[in-house]
Amino acid sequence: MNATLATLLAAVASAAVTVAAEAAPQPSPSAQGSAIVVQDQASLRAAPRDGAQQQASLWQGEVLEVRGERLDYLQVWDHKRERGGFIRASDVRRVALTEAEGPALLAVMRFVQDTPGAEALGIGLTAAYLQAAPAKALAGEEGAQAFDALGTFADRLARRASVAVPGKASGATLSAHLDVANGYGVRFATYEVEGRMQVCYEGEAFRRLLAMPVADAEQRARAALALTRPECINPDLPAHERAKVTTWQADVLERVDVANLPGYLRNRVQMRRASVWGAAAFQQARKNAADPAVAAAAARALTELSGVSKAELPDEDQAAYNDAAMRVSAVRWALVPAAAPVAATGNRPTLLTEPGAPGETCVLLVDAQHSAKAPLLRRCTYGVVWAASASTNREGTAVALAVQPMEGWRELWVLRKTQGGWLADVLPPAAATPETGVAEWAGWVPGGQQMLVAREARGQGRYRKSFEVVRLEGLTTERVTGDVAALPLFQRWQDPAWKRETLSLR
Amino acid sequence: MKATWNRIVQPLKGRRSTPLPEAGTEPVLDADLQGIPPTTGPVSAAPLNWAYLLPTARTVRWLAAGAVVAAAGLMVYRNPPVQHLAQGDLGVRLNQFTGAVSLWRDGSVWVVPGLHTVRVFSLRDQSYRPEAMRQATGSAPLQSVEGLSLGLDLSVRYALDPNSPAVKAGNLPDNVGADIVEPAVQGLVYKVFARYTVREIFSSKRAEIAQIIETELRARLAADGVTLRSLQIGKVDLPAEYRRGMDSLLAEELASEKMRYTLELKDKRVKETELDANADKVRREVAAEAAAREQVIAAKAQEEAMKHVLPFKQRQIEQRQLEAEAERVARVKAAEGAAQARRIEANGEADARQKLAEAEAYRMDRVGKVNAEQMAREGALVTKHPLLIQKTLADKLSDKIQVIIAPPPTNGDFIGAALLGGNRNAQASAAQAAAVADDASTTQAVEQ
Repeated sequence: MNATLATLLAAVASAAVTVAAEAAPQPSPSAQGSAIVVQDQASLRAAPRDGAQQQASLWQGEVLEVRGERLDYLQVWDHKRERGGFIRASDVRRVALTEAEGPALLAVMRFVQDTPGAEALGIGLTAAYLQAAPAKALAGEEGAQAFDALGTFADRLARRASVAVPGKASGATLSAHLDVANGYGVRFATYEVEGRMQVCYEGEAFRRLLAMPVADAEQRARAALALTRPECINPDLPAHERAKVTTWQADVLERVDVANLPGYLRNRVQMRRASVWGAAAFQQARKNAADPAVAAAAARALTELSGVSKAELPDEDQAAYNDAAMRVSAVRWALVPAAAPVAATGNRPTLLTEPGAPGETCVLLVDAQHSAKAPLLRRCTYGVVWAASASTNREGTAVALAVQPMEGWRELWVLRKTQGGWLADVLPPAAATPETGVAEWAGWVPGGQQMLVAREARGQGRYRKSFEVVRLEGLTTERVTGDVAALPLFQRWQDPAWKRETLSLR
Repeated sequence: MKATWNRIVQPLKGRRSTPLPEAGTEPVLDADLQGIPPTTGPVSAAPLNWAYLLPTARTVRWLAAGAVVAAAGLMVYRNPPVQHLAQGDLGVRLNQFTGAVSLWRDGSVWVVPGLHTVRVFSLRDQSYRPEAMRQATGSAPLQSVEGLSLGLDLSVRYALDPNSPAVKAGNLPDNVGADIVEPAVQGLVYKVFARYTVREIFSSKRAEIAQIIETELRARLAADGVTLRSLQIGKVDLPAEYRRGMDSLLAEELASEKMRYTLELKDKRVKETELDANADKVRREVAAEAAAREQVIAAKAQEEAMKHVLPFKQRQIEQRQLEAEAERVARVKAAEGAAQARRIEANGEADARQKLAEAEAYRMDRVGKVNAEQMAREGALVTKHPLLIQKTLADKLSDKIQVIIAPPPTNGDFIGAALLGGNRNAQASAAQAAAVADDASTTQAVEQ
């Protein structure tokens, strides 16, 4: 009985306390506004003195609630660490987060936008502006600027975090800045690429920007370029997911109107489009190489690449241009319709393709004596066989064929006649981990002993372009040069069709 | 008709008129029978002459005769020798003398008064709806097996069967409905309904009951010459309380029925969902399978590309090895050549040095010989002329030495005698001078 009574009393008391707590006025947010830390490693101290104990080390961009002023110190509350303290007034900038302060914040934000190393501060300022500005302004051009700035900061921070920076201090600063950005809800994705982590901005601000009708062409271009960075595609993505991502990227890039862009930005957009359409062409070709969509995508890629103005290509974009050219070059045979197989005449061999195991294409070498049932050579591949690229030398002892096993990586198959029969050799673009590259047949040297090959590849961080005279026997390189004019044999026997079509001589 | 009337009335008005024809009585009767009121229009218009109202003797006679005729006509009319049968009537004529019965259908049948009697029955369909059993609270409600009163809206349609023996025999009662149908229906209906519960009557076995009644009633009525056309059981009137209970029960039943259907529906929906899910699952599985296959193909392609790189790399390595080997061989050859060249050079050098040394030795030999010869000549000369030494010394020293401090000779010789050795040791001095000259010549030769 006593226990029941005690329980009842406790319940009544707790209810009364709850009611009283609800009735009590909530502590109003500080009327003194907030403060944004502008210096790295600013000290939050226990007392307004230089010698006082340090409570926390603050980084630029962090926001604090101001609760008072003491000497030249501000008494603040750090909501993130749930800690109060004093900070020197010169280490912070006070912001009121009112509508009137919006333009000032926007101006500072614009100023910081192009300052490297101030990304965390910029994100803090942008967050303050987004908090201060009215919804109407956010829907207008100012909002577009704010989202553009936010995305730019985050993207640049991600790029900074991805490159190897020597020194312990810079690493600590970078990780602190990433934490500050994370605190504002800016998310980053990390992927392992070639043994190191690649940090990528997840892109919400840019997606919002692309959805805003008031965004201008430059902002859209920046957003689209940041959203479609090739190194930010998850390398572990399955093939069908990757195809979806490619489609999405093409769609995002379509939203940019390149007509009113400055030359260098237009070039970047067009190079990116060329790469993406090249990838789309390959992904479609892997399902069905004869699909008209493949040729359409490849044509689009080539159009975009040819739209790039080399005069307005800065040095830092040269690598991207080479990459785009290689990717487009890898699928360029999609533009040439595969000729219907003609009956082989004499001893000249021709190539036929037929499906093998699921996803496999088999290449058959036939001539007048050997039909498809008993071919001279049969070799199957899981790559895309560009049948239109087949070329036989004058003597009929060698056939060159382009086969693309991976996106942006096209090999050259050389089928040659030996004493023991026909053999198939594969000439990859480079002797490195397959990444991006093209090996192209460029012509036959009369005599049936040599052929001309143009190779271009990026592997393990190095870019290499070479024009080679290759011996058919063993595919060893006899002569190699980086400049096609320096090799007379190459100059003399290069194939006119190759010279007309190739992108190696760009 | 009006003319006839006038003809009758005119004599009453006192006018002379021709005796009425025999046939003229009929219209009077007709008029009388039909009860058509006399037209008062023209009569009322004329002033009444009361003298006309008094009958004359002649008129009375005529009236008597007319009355007789009318009476006769009335008799014939009342008992016509011909019986008219309307459509759908059946006449049963009984010869009272012979007892023969004949049946007559539509038309007329001779009925001789006193000889024949005719009974007319209707062959048309008739219906019987017992009012007494319509209401549960009525005078004669039905009773169920539980003893509950209930009303029934029963409708029986029947007709006489002219071909049945009962009809042919003329044994039918006058009122077929009341005497045959009603007792038969009531006798059957009460009995049948008493076998069922109200619930069965009300809901579940209504058709069965109707079937039973119809079958039995048909047989029963057929025996009496009546054909049962149809039997219809309409509304069943239950007692109010029972009705409410029944309603709620039925509602419950309906609800349960509804629940059953709902459950069935839900069951079907569950099955549908299951099928949908299965279809979705299969679709997903197929898609996943396709995606996995695509992934496998992509991976195989990548592997293939990797595989192609390796032999190429191998070839490159081999080529580099070969190049390195060639380089090594070339270097060894070059080193060997260089060593040999050096050796040859060294040999040459040694030979040259030997030759040089030999040449030097020869030269030294020759010079020594020449010197010795010269010394011999000079020795001979000094021996011959000893003061030549002093002269030479003085010549040589003359430009360098200004003062020579020398102890004075004790023996009073020439001051330079100590230097020269004096005459005491002329032989030794001569030899010494020869040696000095030899040294000087040697030095000269070396300097040369």
